[in-house]
Amino acid sequence: MSAPEPVISCKSVWKLFGPNADHYFSTLKGAPSFQSIREAGYIAAVRDVTLDIPRGEMLVIMGLSGSGKSTLVRCLSRLIDITGGEVHVDGQDIGALKEKELIELRRNKMGMVFQSFGLLPHRTVLDNIAFPLEMRGQDRHTRRARAMEVIELVGLSGREDYFPRELSGGQQQRVGIARSLAIEPDIWFLDEPFSALDPLIRREMQDEFLRLQRLLGKTIVFITHDFDEALRLADRIAIMKDGAVEQCDRPDRIVMNPATKYVAKFTHEIDKARVVRASALMQPVNGAALTGDAVGSQQTIHDLARLIINDPREAFPVAGDDGALLGMLPRQEAIDVLLGGHA
Amino acid sequence: MSIAITDTPPVGGGLTRIRMAQILLIVALGLIVAKTVLPAGLIRPPEWLVWPFADWINAAFRFMRDDLGLIHVTRAIADGIEWLLDVTANLLYGKSRWPNIGPIPWTVIASSAAIIGYALNGWRLALLSGGTFCWIAIMGQWTWSMETLSVIVVAAPFSILMGLLMGIAAWRSALFEKLLNPVLNIAQSMPHFAYMIPVVVFIGVGPKAGAVVTIIFSVPPMIRMTLLGLKKVSDEVIESGKMSGATQLQLLWSVRIPTARTDILVGVNQVIMQCLAMVVLASFIGMPGLGQKLLQLLQALKVGRSVEIGITIVLLAVMLDRCSKAWAMRQPQHHDKGTPWFVRHRLALIWAVLTLVLLGLAQVVPLFDQISRRQALSLAGPLDAVVDWFIVVVDPVTTWLRWFLIVWVLIPLRDAFLFAPFSAVLMLIAAAGWAIGGLRSAAICVAFFGFIAMSGWWDRAMITVYTVTVSVAIATVIGFPLGIWASRNQARAQRMLLVCDTFQTFPSFIYLIPVVMLFGVNDVAVVGAVVLFAAVPLIRYTIEGLRGVPHEMVEAAEMSGATYGQTMWKVRLPLALPTIMVGVNQSVMFSLFMVIIAAFIGTQDLGQEMQRALSSSDVGKGLVLGTAVAFMGLLVDHLVQTWGARRRALLGL
Amino acid sequence: MSTTKTLLSGVAVLAITGQMAAAADSSDPIVIPVHNWSSQIVMSHIFGNMLESVGDNVEYVSTDSQAVYEAIRLGDATVELEVWEGAFAASFDAAREKGGIHDAGDHDAVTREDWWYPAWTKESCPGLPDWKALNECSAIFATPETGEQGRFLGGPVDWLKHDQERVDGMDLDFVVVNAGSASALWAEVAAAERTKTPIVLFNWTPNFAEAVWPGEFVEFPAWEERCDTDPSVGLNPDVTYDCGNPADGYLKKAAWDGMKDKWPQAYCILQNVSFTNPQIAEMAKLVDIDEMEPEDAAAAWMEENEESWKPAVEACPA
Repeated sequence: MSAPEPVISCKSVWKLFGPNADHYFSTLKGAPSFQSIREAGYIAAVRDVTLDIPRGEMLVIMGLSGSGKSTLVRCLSRLIDITGGEVHVDGQDIGALKEKELIELRRNKMGMVFQSFGLLPHRTVLDNIAFPLEMRGQDRHTRRARAMEVIELVGLSGREDYFPRELSGGQQQRVGIARSLAIEPDIWFLDEPFSALDPLIRREMQDEFLRLQRLLGKTIVFITHDFDEALRLADRIAIMKDGAVEQCDRPDRIVMNPATKYVAKFTHEIDKARVVRASALMQPVNGAALTGDAVGSQQTIHDLARLIINDPREAFPVAGDDGALLGMLPRQEAIDVLLGGHA
Repeated sequence: MSIAITDTPPVGGGLTRIRMAQILLIVALGLIVAKTVLPAGLIRPPEWLVWPFADWINAAFRFMRDDLGLIHVTRAIADGIEWLLDVTANLLYGKSRWPNIGPIPWTVIASSAAIIGYALNGWRLALLSGGTFCWIAIMGQWTWSMETLSVIVVAAPFSILMGLLMGIAAWRSALFEKLLNPVLNIAQSMPHFAYMIPVVVFIGVGPKAGAVVTIIFSVPPMIRMTLLGLKKVSDEVIESGKMSGATQLQLLWSVRIPTARTDILVGVNQVIMQCLAMVVLASFIGMPGLGQKLLQLLQALKVGRSVEIGITIVLLAVMLDRCSKAWAMRQPQHHDKGTPWFVRHRLALIWAVLTLVLLGLAQVVPLFDQISRRQALSLAGPLDAVVDWFIVVVDPVTTWLRWFLIVWVLIPLRDAFLFAPFSAVLMLIAAAGWAIGGLRSAAICVAFFGFIAMSGWWDRAMITVYTVTVSVAIATVIGFPLGIWASRNQARAQRMLLVCDTFQTFPSFIYLIPVVMLFGVNDVAVVGAVVLFAAVPLIRYTIEGLRGVPHEMVEAAEMSGATYGQTMWKVRLPLALPTIMVGVNQSVMFSLFMVIIAAFIGTQDLGQEMQRALSSSDVGKGLVLGTAVAFMGLLVDHLVQTWGARRRALLGL
Repeated sequence: MSTTKTLLSGVAVLAITGQMAAAADSSDPIVIPVHNWSSQIVMSHIFGNMLESVGDNVEYVSTDSQAVYEAIRLGDATVELEVWEGAFAASFDAAREKGGIHDAGDHDAVTREDWWYPAWTKESCPGLPDWKALNECSAIFATPETGEQGRFLGGPVDWLKHDQERVDGMDLDFVVVNAGSASALWAEVAAAERTKTPIVLFNWTPNFAEAVWPGEFVEFPAWEERCDTDPSVGLNPDVTYDCGNPADGYLKKAAWDGMKDKWPQAYCILQNVSFTNPQIAEMAKLVDIDEMEPEDAAAAWMEENEESWKPAVEACPA
């Protein structure tokens, strides 16, 4: 799954807010805490973040409001300039790009979806979606044709002449999504795209989003403050607090092995059975005798609940998508997860 | 992302502030009591303190005009404007200039206005805009109105464009904004006559001068609204533009300005209203049309006819206000797919057909082309009769009122204001400043009034202060209860606001005559005229403040068993107070404008000197007097704003 | 309406013939300022029509009657038809001193500005118009703001009428209250008329008010030369202004210095133009009483009084 060369790579990225922050940053030594920086009159919105995002991965950045997740994603797209560290996109140091090169990068490689949609109120759905193409200087006809394609993709056919005001929240965000996809970006940033929507619509949009992702296979950075959403969508989750990444790992690993107390607070309330997959509890076979049908490594314990309770075997063989034996799932551990008795 | 540091001032700080204010107050009272033994230098500004600002300004202007040759630049600009004015003058009332096709028949203009009204907001607005032009034509005021409009249709777009550009410049450069802000503050509180004088010097007289002074007067709100609108565009919209790969320029023209559309259009609305407010005043330096006619009629004491013109100005103002507001609020609407083009452009088609028909008719039936004065109607007879009757009927009351106010209220107060040593007045002002905003406010307030002392117009300034104080006090006594009464329900509030609008746009010069007829040439008439004007913002903001109180709070009070009176006094009024204070602030501003105009009744204050400065084209004197008046307004503005900000913070509003 | 049309077509014919003759006059418009009183507006239009009849281009622009001299001096306006000695001498002289404007001759009309009362006042103070009667009935002119003393309602202070000096010099039991504009004066008279209240105020002739409210000027000791500068002249040996205003003040025309060269023919007409008191009163009446528009009034007056203006034009060949 992971490619050798990451699409986005950040090395100890810092972002401080406050008067003359660059100078203050140059005086910092070691790894100052959020508190000590705050006492100096600065806000450390992003603190020493190092992350690699391989091609095709969906990384969800999760954190409460003020944790710096939105700032981090704006550092990745250079909507704001970072105070320290480096961000590389496709091997280019984006901090070193000139204004023109940056605009080129955005015009060709990046798309972004915003929490409050960021639509232009005076433009129709079609013109909003065609806006990035217009900025690129494409002619009216091409623009229109491409925009119509994306409109179809997000299921807004027939509404292309509406104005944003005339659409529901979910529809407006579909426009936002369509606009960000219009230039066929490699990298897709989504900043809490569903937070402003009603719970039912949110669920529907998440499904829609997963469908699109399966179809398009982009590299995605997705911001959310909703842990359930993160679990539902992520390949990997990065949990942020006070500007720093507390833990970055696969969802089930985070649930099973929270790195810090802070992370544990999130995982505590979670129905682990729905998150933890067979592969997470899997142990090496080591010559144990396994009988009967294998379970899929990607199946959650919740999916397997009936089997685990009714089947008397002490351990189940675990097989990959191709049917190859990967390891075994001890029954007792699976039952512990189901009953929430451990970890 | 911003640093949110909320610290409340320590309790001790509040105490010392009040104590300091008390000390200053005692010093001021001491100075008043001890006036007889004070050295002359503390009673009136000593000679060394009075600086010849006017001479300096005049020297600077002479230098700019003659040595720098600025007059050639301004004249060149004025010539450009004049060319545009000639075009509109030809189209609207047939002045013999290029393109020599006018005048457009009145029926065509009236029907076009009606269709625009309909397109903007349906039948009612169509009726209003079409009806306004019909009224103008039927009352025989067509040529004058077109003269007025021919200037406005040039001045307003100019203001809008300049305001937009300067607003953008201020938004891009924090330094420019910092420089611009005080200039705008002073410009918006300076009496109109003050900047008419430099216009006469640099531009001359006539329609072009009228246009220029109108532009200068109407630009500030456009700048402010553009700046506000651009600042208000949400970060996400801008980020979405950036992520779409927009360059700085694309971001400005395709994202920021269209998104700030509503605010910018509110600015446009303000520009139009300010243009109409200048119709009468600008005629002092040669703007033709309704204002000029109005002054001529008043000079011959034709009250009825001038009221007719006043009604026209109000109608035009209301119409343009409603149209531009409707335009600002209008949201784009899509047409369903497959709508044929003649349905999409239905109104444009109707307009084109109607215009052609009317143009044809105008060739055949002269009444469709122009209505001459002789064919016109007039309400002047009955109006004059009503005014006469009213004045005779109320004569006993006004005679008594005149006597009472003069003898027992105005003369004693006026003497008191003039009695106070200037040092005591400065101390009082410092005390007020300190009580409200500490050292900083005290320093600002004293600086404002210090300039007035140094300008050499102390006594006259005190008379202006006295007139404004009395007027605002009376306006409060009248306006505040009216506002409370009107705020009781929506329908009543709306009717009252309409009355306020009318009073505000009705040319103030017309009030002067009946007021003089009622009270004679004296301070009662002056105060009466000012009160009429000063009560309007008080009523308006009282209504808006009271109606703006959050429903939950009123409901919470009612559920606690409060009566209407208790809810009013304990909940609604305290919460509405910051808004009402804005009304007081506005009331002071309005009074300062009106008190200058009341010089036409006969006063001995700054306004009278301003009138002299205008007739002798004395730029320096005019600007010094104007600045003195502006500083009075800014002083009150500063105090009310500071108080309001603290109060709001306290209430968590 | 029809009279206007015939007149205008006449003017048009004249304009064409005039154009050839008056080749010397510039085709730039001659800017005639109009103010806010009717006789001046009508007279300006009459003069404008006269110029148009010889082919000149004319434009009217409304201006402040004091600021106009500055405008003429700078060439923004070309002529002023009514320069009142009493009201505008100061502004006119100030502008003349700076240069660019000059005196273009007198009208036949004389102007008088002085204390005046409407007819009904005489009923309560029969001693008028003799000035000595003023002190005898000063109480009937009293108002709350003047206490026991009578009130004299003066014109705006910037008209510089020296009423206060006269009150002091002639020992009048009056307080001077200055109105801020002519409208305020009229409003007071109109209000006084309704209740027939006695009133004494500043007024002048020729003026529309004469037609609306009959009245008389107060007869002060006649104006003598140097009454305003030499204390020994006049009633009181110790003060100035102890006499009436001149009963025959001038009414002048003023012109921009450049007019003579740019529009020689028009300048010649200007010098010839002269109106009398009754003519000026008639012009004001057409507008103020007959409610005509100034343009119509000018045309009507010209039709009625051809002998009064034709010679002035004919005396100035191109």
